[in-house]
Parts: sequence; C-alpha cells; structure tokens
Amino acid sequence: MLSRVAENLYWMTRYMERAENTARLINATSQVLLDLPRGASFGWDVLIQVAGLDKLFREHYPTFDETSIMRFLVSDEKNPSSIVSCIHNARENSRTLREVLPRTAWERINALYLFVNGRAAHAVERARRYNILEEIIERRQSVVGLLADCMSHDVAYYFIRLGRFIERADMTTRMLDINAAVLVPRQQVPEDPAMALLWMGVLKSLNAYQMYRRHASVHVHGTEVVNYLLKDPLFPRTVRHCLDEIESCVSELPHHGAPLKTLRIAQRRIAGMKVDGLTPAQRHEYLDAVQSDLARVHEEIATEYFHFCEQSPDPLKAVAAG
Amino acid sequence: MNINNYPLNGLYDELIDAAGKPRPPAKALFEYLAAFDPAELNARRAAVDAAIMTMGITFTIYSDGTNIDRAWPFDIIPRIMGNHEWRRVDAGLRQRLKALNLFINDLYNGQKIVKDGVFPIEVLAGSKNFREQCKGITPRFGVWAHICGTDLVRDADGTIYVLEDNLRVPSGVSYMLENRMLMKRLFPELFQKSEILPVDDYTTRLHETLAALSPYPGERPVIAVLTPGIYNSAYFEHSYLAQQMGAVLVEGPDLVVAEDDCVYMKTIDGLRRIDVIYRRIDDDFLDPESFRPDSALGVPGLMRAWRRGKVAIANAPGAGVADDKVVYTFVPKIIKYYLDEDAILPNVPSYLCMDAKEREYVLANLDKLVVKPANESGGYGMIIGPRATPAERERFREQILADPRNYMAQPTLSLSTAPTLVDGGLAPRHLDLRPFVLQSENMYVTTGGLTRVAMREGSLVVNSSQGGGSKDTWIVEERR
Repeated sequence: MLSRVAENLYWMTRYMERAENTARLINATSQVLLDLPRGASFGWDVLIQVAGLDKLFREHYPTFDETSIMRFLVSDEKNPSSIVSCIHNARENSRTLREVLPRTAWERINALYLFVNGRAAHAVERARRYNILEEIIERRQSVVGLLADCMSHDVAYYFIRLGRFIERADMTTRMLDINAAVLVPRQQVPEDPAMALLWMGVLKSLNAYQMYRRHASVHVHGTEVVNYLLKDPLFPRTVRHCLDEIESCVSELPHHGAPLKTLRIAQRRIAGMKVDGLTPAQRHEYLDAVQSDLARVHEEIATEYFHFCEQSPDPLKAVAAG
Repeated sequence: MNINNYPLNGLYDELIDAAGKPRPPAKALFEYLAAFDPAELNARRAAVDAAIMTMGITFTIYSDGTNIDRAWPFDIIPRIMGNHEWRRVDAGLRQRLKALNLFINDLYNGQKIVKDGVFPIEVLAGSKNFREQCKGITPRFGVWAHICGTDLVRDADGTIYVLEDNLRVPSGVSYMLENRMLMKRLFPELFQKSEILPVDDYTTRLHETLAALSPYPGERPVIAVLTPGIYNSAYFEHSYLAQQMGAVLVEGPDLVVAEDDCVYMKTIDGLRRIDVIYRRIDDDFLDPESFRPDSALGVPGLMRAWRRGKVAIANAPGAGVADDKVVYTFVPKIIKYYLDEDAILPNVPSYLCMDAKEREYVLANLDKLVVKPANESGGYGMIIGPRATPAERERFREQILADPRNYMAQPTLSLSTAPTLVDGGLAPRHLDLRPFVLQSENMYVTTGGLTRVAMREGSLVVNSSQGGGSKDTWIVEERR
C-alpha cells in the first residue's frame, strides 16, 4: 500500500467521522435545550468549546448566538472542521482513492457531498436542522456499512478503521471534558435535574443512551456516565472500545512496535483511572492527558506508515528492512 | 420524437441520409425513438445528467477557479456506424500506427528515412518533441507509441480523414467506456434490439499491452499509472484506468529511483519495485534530471532507469516526435516508405508554412483556412480563418512569418453532423471520432471510440476543454 494512499484513507475517514460527530452533537444539544428549565446556564457556545474551536470562532464572529454558531459548525468553509469542510475534504481525499475503494463508495461520498453542498446552509433554521443533520448521519453511515460489506478487510481497511477510531475516541473525551466544565458552578447541587439532562444529552449525542441504560444503569448519573463512556469495552463509541479497535488494526500492520507502545500508555491510563471522587478539575486534567495520548498515537502512525520511506537515508536498506 | 423536421443543410449527417431517412445502421434507433415524446426523452436526459453528477464523471477546466470539476456533457443520441465501414477504418488505424512506430524507432536509431531523402532533416531539427536523450534506444518490440488516440473527421462528401495522431498522452477512453455504461443503464431495450458491438474489453487489453512491456518476463509485473494529480483535467480517467486494470495510481513524489536504477514506490512497508509505468505526464515533466528541472510532477532519475532497461514507460519518452502537425503531413509517405502500402485512411490536405510556396498560399488564404501550431493539443493556439476577426488573422500572419516551421494549415472542413438532443428536439451538431489504438506485443483497436460533439450550434470545436460534449459510439452489425 502506497504511503500516500494510506494517509488519504486515514484522513478521509477521520473527516467523515468528524462530520458525523458534529451533526450528532448539534442534534442532541438542540433536543436537550428544549427540555432545560428556564434560566439554566447552558449556551450554544459549549458546542464550540467541545470542538476546541473557540479561537477560530472569535476571529470570525462577534457573538456566540445560535445562528452564528450553526453557520460556523455546519456550513462555514473558513472552519476546517465544519461539516461542509469535512465532507469536502473527505471527498477530495476519496477522489485520490477511487482505485482502492469500491466504486459505489465514491458515488455515495460524492452524493453526500452534493447533498451537503446544496442543503447544509439550511441547517441554520431550527425547523429544518434536525432532518438535514440526520440525513448527513444516515448517508455517512451508509458509506461505513458499504465499506464494511463490500471491500476486502485488507490493509486499506485497517487505515480506514484507524482514522475512524482515533477521531471518535478524541471526540468522546472532548464531550466528557466539556460537560465537566459546564457543570463546575453547579457541583454543589449534584442531583440537579438540569445536570442529568445534560449528561443525557451527552449519551444521546453518542447514540449511547439506550445501551447505557441496558448495560450500566437506569439512572443518568455523572460519574457513571463518565465511567461508561471511558471504560465500557462493548459500546463502539467509548474510549476503551476505540483504543481496542486501534490496537487490533495496528497489530496487523508491519513494524508496529512504536505505535503499539504509545497506544498501551493510553490504554493503561484509561484502565487505571478512578472516576469516583474526582473533582471536575482533576477529571479535566485526566481527559486532557488522554487526548495527548491519542495525539501521540496519531504521530507514531504517521511516522511509521505515512512518512516511512522519507526517513531512511538509503531507500534500498528500507527495502531490506521491510 | 421523430425526424420529420430534422434540418438537412447539405452536410454529411452520420444518422440521416440526404433524403431525410435514417441510414441503415440507425434504423432501429429511430424506430425506437418514434415511441418517445420529447418530454419523455428529456426526462431520460435529466436522469443521465443526475447519474453523471453522482458517479462523478468529470473533467477539469484549468481556468475554472475553485470548482475543479465539471460534469461531462453527454448527449443521449448515439453516433452509429455500420461494422462494414468500421472494419476499413480499423485496418487503416492499424496500418498507420505500425508505420508511425517504425518511423519513431528509425528516427532514434540511424534515421534511414532521412538518409533516403523521404523525410526532410529540417523538420526533425525544428521538432520540439525530438529527444536527444532517446537516441540509440530500442524499446521492447520496437514500439514507442503504445497508446494512440487518432482523431477522425468526415467531410461533406462522406470521406473519413485522419485529422491528427495523438501519440503523447491521449485521453478520453474512460469517457468512451462510461458513455456506454450510461447508455446501457438508460436504454437497455435498445441493446436488445440491435447488435451493438461491445467496447468494454479495452482495460483488459490495455493491461495486456502494458504487462507485455515488463523488463522482468515471468514475474507478475507491477504496473503503475503515473498521474500529475487531481488538478489535471484527465485525473478522473487516470484513476479510472488504474482501478479497472488493478494498477497502482501514483504521483511523482510517490516514486523514487534508487542506486540500482530501479524505480520504487513508497509504501507503508518500505519500497516496492515498479516494472511498468503508464505515464500520463508529458515528457517535459517526466524527469527533472533530464528535462525541465523545475518539474515537481516527475521522478528524478526516471530516464536513467528507462534507458538502462530497468523500467518500461508507455508511451516511451520521445514518442511525441511523431505527434506533430507538421510531421503529420508526411504520414502517407511514411506508410509507403516502411510498409510499401498506400494509406488506407487519407490525411486532410495540408499546407506547410515552412515551404515558401505553400506559405504564400496560406497567407493569401487565411480567411479560408484553419491554421494550427505544430505542437499544441486540445484546440489551443489554432485559428479557424472564416470565423476569425481581421485582427486575429493579422496576428496569426505575424506568428507564421516569425516561426514558419511551427505552423501548418488545412482547408476548413465541413465536419459531419449527427442528431443531438437540444431544447427544441433533435438538431444537427458537428462531431469527430477518436478511436484508441494499442500496440506492444499485439495490436488492438477500440470498437468505435470516443465521439466528441460540439454542443453549440454551428461550432466546429469539439474539444472538451472548449465546451464540447460526447456521445456513445455504436458499431453495429448490419442485418442483411
């Protein structure tokens, strides 16, 4: 597999995953907002913080109002993580992958791009938002399903999964992290119903509410939600599950020593984390560390597979080594 | 939808004869279309357009800013030719490419044709595409141009002429294949009614052609399609062909020439040797060590690897020497010289500006002639005299006088037309035909080729870069 192709596969799925996560986040938040009691301190700006885009947002918009935030997250091309930018980038990546991907995959990604391009701007309107974002999620899932069903689970597919699970693990930690931040001023009232609603929002945005209730608890309680979304091995959006998936992919790749070693650090950190009794500030520090772990896993993968041949001073020795 | 009101304007129409009746190979089509009303036909056309958008069959216009691709304009009325007539064209194309390859090989090895006084040394001296670096080399099978796209046109009297030989990096074959797929999706009934010869073995044949070039017979060859990248107008095609052949699609920076002079690609697991490169990059950009040093598209050392026989390149570097509109005028003589045969397909009568007498004629008749530069393709840099302004003609006069070797002229042909679906129904539009010819161990000619059509009324320019579209091309077995 060409290094460039591996890198494009990896980024294509990262972008697709990011677009879907953003769509989920907006839809879940919109639902939660409708349930919150008047005066509850929750703002749309939280979404910007989750995405880690405060600085960029402030450069382009004067206020954190709903319309600006929606435009920024969904259709603003100046935001490289907006849904439109992500789908556009995924499509440009997949354009260079047509000979690797099943033909229908390109057609569906292209159709998703055409859909997003034509409709995304309308997601600013509350009445149309839900359906548009749901359709983006559905269309992206149909690409995932197609790849799972109609392409060989070969090296190319490992890079597809790697991109997906690194991006997903990162997003899950961000969502847990930001919720901690929002809840800081309210910690003195732990059973505040508004807080339960927010945690429910987190679960719902990850499509995890139902599985959480089935496997963890019928009550939505902060500590348990955090514990579940970090450590549950079975639900496909928990950090633990994502790390396990990354491990199974990396193990199949050649010369995987360094990336695997970095990955173990992240796995140990999650396993050793005691959620109970953590102050929100400590939790924030922990999640920050997990995000840094993920960034290092990404760097190791890039070094080993995307830039492997560039590092060897004598390319022929690399042949012998490979 | 019927052809009762189809305007006949004294030109040759591919589907309708002078009496306004369908030509025999097109009869089944019009019987079928008679059952359609214009609205239904337009609905099918809209379905095709939507399919093209989703399938992402696109080409790039360099000047189009951020939107790097445009949908491929496709006309749903096919261009139809009887197999009887086609077989003669097929034979003519084979003859032509065989002679051209003998000619190229001779130019780089001894230049017998020059010594025998058949081909003037001045033409060679002025050729931008003659590469000193290729002298003394004989590629496998003596073949330099492995993939050729020959442009054919038909004049008012029905004669089919060769307009140009594209021997560098001809494109369009993927559209030929995609057009057929679209037609099968949209008019499956038609394919049951008439015996339309298939076109879809092209990529298999291309693979065979390339595999036969491998310097390592007996091993399963690793074949790569070398593309300049997604901003190239034919990127869609590069990726399409790689996909269909099971070849690797590579860009210059993916490749490296190592100390053993072999070409390697950079993979996640180290370097892997490449045996055959189907390059879709012009000579100039192929190897910054040998040609343009500023090229970021090519691979440093590639020419060295090729000269030492460590990798095969198709088309071979330097093959473009025969893809020159001045060399073109000599092709009938070239065929006679190497094969001792008369050309089956005639050239369009041409005037060479390097010849004082012919130049005088050209300058005196600029308002009647088409003048073309020797080395441009894609319809760039040419002038259609009767449609040019006096100022444009004056500018061309100066250019010709400044560099006569670089120009040739031809009479303005009355290109044939075919019915094309426009808003008001069927209307005649000018077209040409580009069949593709493969040669390495064996020869192969596509069944038909890519029909390009000038979608604007009256326009004679069919190039996709100049607003042209395309049609599916049917070679049909005639019932007797």
